[in-house]
Amino acid sequence: MTAPAVGTELAPVMVAVTQEKINRYAEAGGDGNPLHTDPQFAAQTQFGGTIAHGMLLLAYLSRMLTAAFGEAWLSGGRLKVRFRAPARPGDTISAVGQVIRADGGGIVCAVECRNQARETLVSGEAEVPA
Amino acid sequence: MPPRLDTLAKGHEFPATTFVLSPEWVREYVAAVEDEAIGTLGPGLVPPMAVAALAVRALLDRAALPPGAVHIGQEMTFRRATRVGERLSASARIVSRGERQGWVLMGVDLSVSGDAGPVMEGRATLTMPAVEEAP
Repeated sequence: MTAPAVGTELAPVMVAVTQEKINRYAEAGGDGNPLHTDPQFAAQTQFGGTIAHGMLLLAYLSRMLTAAFGEAWLSGGRLKVRFRAPARPGDTISAVGQVIRADGGGIVCAVECRNQARETLVSGEAEVPA
Repeated sequence: MPPRLDTLAKGHEFPATTFVLSPEWVREYVAAVEDEAIGTLGPGLVPPMAVAALAVRALLDRAALPPGAVHIGQEMTFRRATRVGERLSASARIVSRGERQGWVLMGVDLSVSGDAGPVMEGRATLTMPAVEEAP
């Protein structure tokens, strides 16, 4: 794999989040936390409504990194992120990334998930072996 | 009924649990996360985040997430790719636990391995409402 130059932007992934998709992920992931699936419960929390699973947003980042780096992401990839704000039903999520370092040790990308208002929901770094 | 995660102490180790990356479950996961990229790498490869999700699912069989638990940080390292049909083993340990103003902040280390060696390790940072004491 030829290392991309610093500054290269990865092809973004855009996904429209719906309650149906959140429910589907809850079923697959076995995480039925009512914060994600029960609008009445979630309305009483600090979020005021249901939110997507953090792991669902990471799956969008992983899809972007798989498309960019192929098996190198699956065999040696690292990810370190913070969840900064929730994704809600009705949001359009963009998973984006940019190469910030590339040397013999690996390729490091700044990665984010943003909503349609360009609010950062998840941010951190991903590293792929060179 | 498994214990609530917030009631467990720092150092608590969850017994290793095994699971299989069944074709049906992997299809369900890939559809749920709309991962169109994994299929371009060839047949049988499993999205790395699917392994993490299934390991978390196995963990949730051993400790219930309290309603309102929130994921606030995640670190992961993927050691090797996995394929549909692999049998894997996941283990987890609570590495940090603090409590403040009715909320528990907890770090949980998770590792997954199979017959061909380590698959992934990671650390989840979670916050959740603490159990309310009876008056």
